[in-house]
Amino acid sequence: MQDNNEEEISRIKELESINLSSDKIRDSVVSTKKQIEKQNEQLAATINLTLKNHKIKSFDIVGAIGAGKTEIISQIVEKLGSKYRILVICGDITTRVDADRIEAHNAETVQINTGRECALNAYHIHQIIRNKDLEKYDLLFIENVGNLICPSDFILGTDKRIVVVSITEGEWVIEKHPMLFKMSDIAIINKIDLKDRLGTDINKMKEDAKRLNPNIKVLTTSAKTNLNIEKLISIMGL
Amino acid sequence: MKEELNAIRELIEDLNKISKNQLKSALKSLFAKIYNQIDIYIGDFPTFIEPVYLEDNVTIGDDVLLGPNVYIGANVVIGDYVELSNCVIFDDVHLGNNLKLDNCIISPKSSLDFENFKFSSTILSGKADSANKLKKMSF
Repeated sequence: MQDNNEEEISRIKELESINLSSDKIRDSVVSTKKQIEKQNEQLAATINLTLKNHKIKSFDIVGAIGAGKTEIISQIVEKLGSKYRILVICGDITTRVDADRIEAHNAETVQINTGRECALNAYHIHQIIRNKDLEKYDLLFIENVGNLICPSDFILGTDKRIVVVSITEGEWVIEKHPMLFKMSDIAIINKIDLKDRLGTDINKMKEDAKRLNPNIKVLTTSAKTNLNIEKLISIMGL
Repeated sequence: MKEELNAIRELIEDLNKISKNQLKSALKSLFAKIYNQIDIYIGDFPTFIEPVYLEDNVTIGDDVLLGPNVYIGANVVIGDYVELSNCVIFDDVHLGNNLKLDNCIISPKSSLDFENFKFSSTILSGKADSANKLKKMSF
């Protein structure tokens, strides 16, 4: 019986839905899920305090695969590398392609391959920072696993969260992913250099972001042409 | 990296004669040099926090988290839900399910044939079906 329960809990965990649990174990599944969420929040608070104690400013960058997260971080570290000591943590299910791209711009990187997990969580970050000499860094960037859904489940303890979308994702992308925009401080609408060819309604995207989160700062960029990267750095307070 | 591993291997050969300071220093030297090699292994996709170095023929169970600073020797078998950080696991070791190890060294051919246990800052050696039966030395 216990084996069956464990198998079911494992399956539910993989599918991330308590609705799939049988009535027999529903209470324990709900309770476990709540505990995990609470523990992630507590760990994130500890991380934020630790980073603040070391005067490290930190940013969690989220967005879909291909939105331009890596290129934006590369441009930022290229511009700030001589002013700040920077650590970049890259989350991907596999490979260190993104970390290698960023490292080419003279920032130290750590790659996390999450395997089957679709977002980084506070424990991943905690495991890295507890093994680093934090006196060596001024800035921490975390490039989350590429998607607009899962990262909303886990805060990482950074000072700010930045959500990146590109106009190639269509003008509905923001209204279809409200959670991350509600939880973010800055929204970047990237690949603006393709505006004329794609005809994406960028004003709708900006309005959607502001409607979902009136406090969010919205900025259009082109990481490829460097457009508004300096402005982004200024909005980030760097 | 091989030089640092050999130094650790020699240090743990006789648990009665170990200098804890030498061991800590050897581990620090290894972790300063260890690099990522995770391309080939047997099993499902684990989570890797680099650096993790896998020798040949490593088998990894489900929902495993490896890293940072983990060396896994050849022919090691890692059970489900295992978590390793700051660890050196020498060749031919078997790890049971749901073991969580931080800052540990496991001597060659050891077998931890039990589940649901945590160790930190410990050398583990021998074949045992319960944690109590293992040879252990904390450092």
